[in-house]
This record gives sequence, C-alpha cells and structure tokens, in this order.
Amino acid sequence: MAETLQNLLLGFSTALTAHNFFYAFMGCLIGTMVGVLPGVGPLAGISLLLPSTFGLDPTGGLILLAGVFYGAMYGGSTTSILMRIPGEAASVMTCIDGYAMALKGRAGPALAIAAIGSYVAGTISVVGLMFLAPPLARFALRFGPPEYFSLLALGLLVLGYMTGGSMIKNLAMIILGLLFGMIGIDHMSGYFRFSYGIVALGDGIGVVPVAVGLFGIAEILATAGNPLRPDVLKPKLKDLLPSRQEFRDSIFPIGRGTILGFLIGIIPGSAHIISTFMSYAVERRVSKHPEKFGHGAIEGVAGPESANNAASCGALVPMLALGVPTGPVPAVLLAALMIHGINPGPLFIKEQPTIFWGLVASMYLGNFMLLLLNLPLVGIFINFLRIPYRILYPIILMFCIIGVYAVNTSFVDVGIMSVMGVLGYLLRKFDFETAPVVLGVVLAPIIEMSLRQSLAMSNGAYIIFIQRPISAVFLGASLVMIFLAVKPLVWKRKDWRERLAEAEKKS
Amino acid sequence: MKTTRIHWVVIVLVCLGAMNFLLGKALAEEPYPTRPVQIIVPFPPGGVADLVARPFATALEKHLKQPVVVVNKTGAGGAVGMQSAAVAKPDGYTLMVALSSISVMPEVDALFGRPSTYKLKDFASIALLTADPTILAIKKEAPWKTLADFVADAKKRPNEIKYSSSGVYGTMHVAMEMFAHSAGIKLRHIPTGGGGPALTALLGGHVDCLSGGPNVSIPHIKAGTLRVLANWGDKRLPALPDVATMKELGYKDVEFYIWSGFFAPAATPAGLIKILREATAKAVQIPDFKAAMEKMETPIYYLDAPEFQKFWDSDAERLIKAVRNIGKAQ
Repeated sequence: MAETLQNLLLGFSTALTAHNFFYAFMGCLIGTMVGVLPGVGPLAGISLLLPSTFGLDPTGGLILLAGVFYGAMYGGSTTSILMRIPGEAASVMTCIDGYAMALKGRAGPALAIAAIGSYVAGTISVVGLMFLAPPLARFALRFGPPEYFSLLALGLLVLGYMTGGSMIKNLAMIILGLLFGMIGIDHMSGYFRFSYGIVALGDGIGVVPVAVGLFGIAEILATAGNPLRPDVLKPKLKDLLPSRQEFRDSIFPIGRGTILGFLIGIIPGSAHIISTFMSYAVERRVSKHPEKFGHGAIEGVAGPESANNAASCGALVPMLALGVPTGPVPAVLLAALMIHGINPGPLFIKEQPTIFWGLVASMYLGNFMLLLLNLPLVGIFINFLRIPYRILYPIILMFCIIGVYAVNTSFVDVGIMSVMGVLGYLLRKFDFETAPVVLGVVLAPIIEMSLRQSLAMSNGAYIIFIQRPISAVFLGASLVMIFLAVKPLVWKRKDWRERLAEAEKKS
Repeated sequence: MKTTRIHWVVIVLVCLGAMNFLLGKALAEEPYPTRPVQIIVPFPPGGVADLVARPFATALEKHLKQPVVVVNKTGAGGAVGMQSAAVAKPDGYTLMVALSSISVMPEVDALFGRPSTYKLKDFASIALLTADPTILAIKKEAPWKTLADFVADAKKRPNEIKYSSSGVYGTMHVAMEMFAHSAGIKLRHIPTGGGGPALTALLGGHVDCLSGGPNVSIPHIKAGTLRVLANWGDKRLPALPDVATMKELGYKDVEFYIWSGFFAPAATPAGLIKILREATAKAVQIPDFKAAMEKMETPIYYLDAPEFQKFWDSDAERLIKAVRNIGKAQ
C-alpha cells in the first residue's frame, strides 16, 4: 500500500509537469472531438495522431494517445443522444434511449449522465488498473478461444433481452447482422467468401460503416422524408441537469456498467463495443420497468456509457502489465512506445515506472478534465439542436463520409455505409430494430473464429468447451438463462415481454 | 445534356493527352522531387512495416528535401495497398514499403485459382531496409530443451503440438510449415487475427509454440516467460547469441525472414529510381534512424537494388515452394 502511494506520487509528479499536463489535456480534447464526430472513432484518431508523437518523449506520447482513447468514449455519446447518430461504434446502444430522452426534452440530463457515468467508470477503472493490473492480465491470458466462444454464446442469449418489440423481428435482425459478418476472407482456410471479386471486401464489413450507415445515414434520410418539418428542440437551461430521481436511477447502472465494462475490456478482442451491448441487456434484464427501455430510460444511457469507458481502461491492462495488445487500439499504443525503443513486456511496470505511473496519474487527471470539459459542453452541444436541419444534416453527412473514409482510407467503406444507410432507412420504415444488426456484424467474425480455433485446438472434439473451467461456467450460465426463459411457459406467469406488449397496447 | 458532358470529358482528355505528349520530354528532365512524396504502407499503423516506414520517411526527407508522407492503405492482408502501389502513376511520387508477404500473395491467389491483384513484376525494387529471421518461441515450462527434443516429440505425436500464427499463409504460418516440411513433422496450426493475438495465445498456454519476429518476443524472453529453440536466419541474432540457426541444426533448406523493402511501381523511370537509391543509401546511414531501428530490435539490413533483387528472387523462390507444400487448407 505504502509502495503504491509512493508510486502514485511519482506518477503525479510526472503527470503534473507542464508538458505532460498539456498532453493529457490535448489528448482529452482531441478525444472528445474524435468521439463527437460521427464515423471518426478512437482507432482512426489515434492512428492519425501516432506519427506526431514520435517527436515527444514516450511518456508524453502515451499520455496523449491514451487521452484520445478514453476521451473518445466521452464524446461518443453526444451525437448519439442529440441526433441518433453514433459518434463511434461503442455508442450505438446510447442512440436508443439517449435519443428517446432527447425527444422528450431530456437531452441535457442524458448528456450529463453520460459524462458523469463516464467519469465514475473511468476513475474506478484506473483504480482497478493500478492495483490489479498484473493478476488481471494473467487471468485475461487464460481466455483462449473456447472461453471466448462460450462467453459470446452466453452473450447472444442475453441479447434476447436487448431490444423490445417482436422477438422474431429481432432474431431476424441478429441473423442479418451475423450474415453480413460472414463476408470476407475465411481466416482458417484463406478462401474468400461473398466478396464478388472486390478485394477490399476480403476484410469483411467493418463495424464503423455499418453503425454509421444504419444509424446516422438512415436517420438523416428518415428526417428528410418526414413531411412535417421537425420541431427544433429548445431545452431550457434548468433542464440541463438530471433530476434527483434520474440520478437515483443511474447509480446502479453506472456501477454495474463499470464492473462489466472493465472485466469485458480486459478480455482480448474489440471488447468496448460488446461491453455496451452487454450492459444494456443487463440493465434491461434487472430493471423493474423493462418496458421503459427504448422510450427514454436513463438507465439505458448510464449503463452502456459507463461500460465503454471502463472497457477502454480495461483494454490497457494486458498491454501495460504484459505487453500484449488485446485489440487494435492497444496495438497502436504499443507501437507508440516501441518507436521510442521501449518494448513493453511482463517487466514493463517495474522497468518503466515513470511511464506506467505517469499514465495512471494522467488518467485520473484526464477523467476529471473530461468531466469539467463535458458538463459545460452539454449546454453548448444542446444548441446544435437549434441549427436548422437543412444546415446541420449536410454537415453531419459530410463528417460521416470523411470519418468512415478515414478509418481505412477506403471508398468501399463509404459505399458500404451508403448501402447500409438505405437499408437502415427501409428497416426503420418497416419497424425493425437496427442495433442487433450492428451487434451481429461485431460478433459474427469473433464467434466463428473462436469456435473454429477451439475445434482446431481439440482436433474437432466439442468436449473442449466443457473441459475448460471458465468456458464451462459460461455454458452453465447459458443453461440457466435458457431455463429462465422457459420457466414462464411451465409456471404460466407472464414474462416481461408480455407485460411490455400490454403496456404498449395501453399507450 | 448527358452527351454534352461526355463530349467535354473527351475533349479534356484529348487535350490532357496532347499536353502530356508535348511535355513528355521536358518532364523527364525536370528535377525530382518537387512536391511531397507518398510512401504507401499496406498495413495498419503500428505494424512492422509502419514502424520501419515512418522513421525511414523522416530519414529520407533529409536527402530528398521534400516531405515524405506515410499513408497506411490497409485491407485484405496488404493486397489492397500493394495493388494501389502497383497501379500508381510511375512518377516517383508514389512509393511503397512492403513486407516479405508481397511474394506470397500472388502464389496463394494462384493456389485458389483466383486472379491476383498484382504481380511481382509490377514493382521495381529500390532497397532492402530490414530483414529479421523468425525465431521458434516456446513457453518457459515447455518440456523441450533443444530443437532435437522438439522434433523427436513431434515425430512421436504427429499433429499434436500446436502453434499459433498471424493467419493462414501469413509469415508465421509459412515459416513454421517450411521448417515442419524440412524436419518431416506435422504440427497443428491455429491461425489467429495477427501477430499480437498469436503471441497472446502462446503466453496464455493455448498453443505450444510459434515462429515469430524477435522484436515482440524479446521482452518476454528477457522476463523469462518464453524460451527460444532456434532461429530461421543464416546467422545468429546479436540479441540472442546463444540461439542456433536452423541451418546449424541441420535443416539446410530452412531460411526465413520477415523483411521490409522499398519499392516503386515497375514503370518508374530509371533516373528517378537512381535518385531514390542514392537517397536511401544515405538515409540508412543517419545515426538517428539506425538507433531508432536498433532500439526496436529491428536492425537495419540494407541492400541496394541489385543485391536486393537477388535476395528477393531467392527468398520468393523459397516462399513459393513453401506455399505449394502447404497447399490448400482442408
């Protein structure tokens, strides 16, 4: 404990030097902007900034880039809540209830709770990073393909709770997403699937163009097709902060989102997106009023927004403790260190205490700065809604296109986004939820890869999923989920879906 | 309306063509470079090629006296970026830093009977920048003390020892299969999504070994979590002087490098290639660049165009043979 305090002191003395403080601030500021702009996600932002850090010292460079990463999680909620356009892929879930809140004139509280939830999650996760990084990272390594597959199988079952409305429509959307996810090179054999000779499709369909297309472009199209000129929402100043009841409703979702996000974040993979879906599903499952979800439940904003922040911090755990990049963003952060001749490995924290503790301290400062930065910004962002749509939407459309193009400098991605935009528009007109499609696209490659890797490991024996303890626990939990789902059939009690249908009939 | 537009396009094109013809001679003698030069890296930021290209671009700038910009054009394991460099205007302003996988992809395409996105002949070589042999890394607790132990065990238990790779027909896969073929053993291949995940799989004990670049494994070797049985190069590595090469251990035909080279589109005029070769020869001497590469455990291994071409030809021959031996995955 004393040692940790001493280290933390060293960290703050590093992070509070004028230039490192400046880098943390710049990182958070750029991160917020990257998050706010639709399409441009943290990966694109960090990749574009990476070369500019070569001239800095390694600590400053890492502080700057990490700031962009967690700062983007703050900014991502803004356009999701105000315009139903996800600022980055991890904010797709926020669109659903955040936008519903905005329609009710509660955009201010939604933005505020997203910032507060992010702050709480970010700060608690840094504590986790500080005390638990080495043991957690070793635990994360035990997550091999079989564990990952079982976790995602459980995840898919939880998804039944994710969205309201018709179960059949939701399942159809998940399947559609999974089908999109099958496009591209088969990583186990090298065959191209459904690529129709387009080389760029060999990599499959990215999450960013799908999310921006299905939500952003579809929203713009739907607004344009609206015969009535939509009312510009003009919230009053006193409506900017959450009410006492909204605060009370958000405490537990923020707490659960933080823990869930941090744990899922540690696991190798693009976890920060999955963590938001999981958090939303969990909130809906435990809520006493699941029927409110989708119609502006603040829990549906607080949970996922906390989860993605905690996950971004969790993703740094294996990278810093073991030098293992578990996702594309940590890989770029690792490169930022390697270019300075620092090759993080299991001894990184011991050998480079200044960098590690400097980063930890900068994350405490950075999260606080982001809160200070984002709460006043709520008042400014709200004013975006005053801009007439004919001016606002073309600008957003431009940012969507630039953002999606920038991720891979690929026109094919812009094409995918456009097709998804039209598809999303049609799906909305026919009353289908589009969030499950995005999730399917995220999950399909991971589920397929982990299933086939597991079977390659066991030479085709399915027993590997039960032999490995972590995997067996997840499968056991899945069985419990199935049992819970079947229970109402046996005990003849109404499940929440039926109550939901009734509630919707009444309204 | 539409026809007039097409007319205009045709007229403009014809004018441009005529101008090109008239100016052709003058252009050839124009000084180069007069505007920023772009280096395409067909892999994402932070990858091996990117980490070589960026400090190299900075070093090159000093001699070309023009900004040298690195552009990551990723997709399909590098095929997208390599194709775009292959068809780029051969004016010396679009160049490429690519990895040894450049020789593998057309062969894999041929194997699957699909049209290749580029041919090796599409590129003119300028220089070899780095060449790291892969190393055979195993967990500290693994039972094998020497490569002979490993091979003996693999012969006893065919298809039981698992290795991870960055992906099918990727460098880590081809290197390991080249060795397995030479040693007459069969190992079980677990492809993952990249070098990082492959290393994670080994560290987590989900596979038994891998053949990967030394730079990412060295911290784990220093920390004692990984051990090394052999190296695929023709010389021992300065960073790992105790590790014998495959050749020393009796596998004469096993040689594999993850190398990075500097290329231009094939039709680039010889005069421009010469300028670029001279600038590269000077750039690799810059102490900052040298130090940066050494700190990354990816030391510079410079070969000028003629030697590089020879190196590339013999390397491509080995790789193509290895890919044919692997054949199509079941």
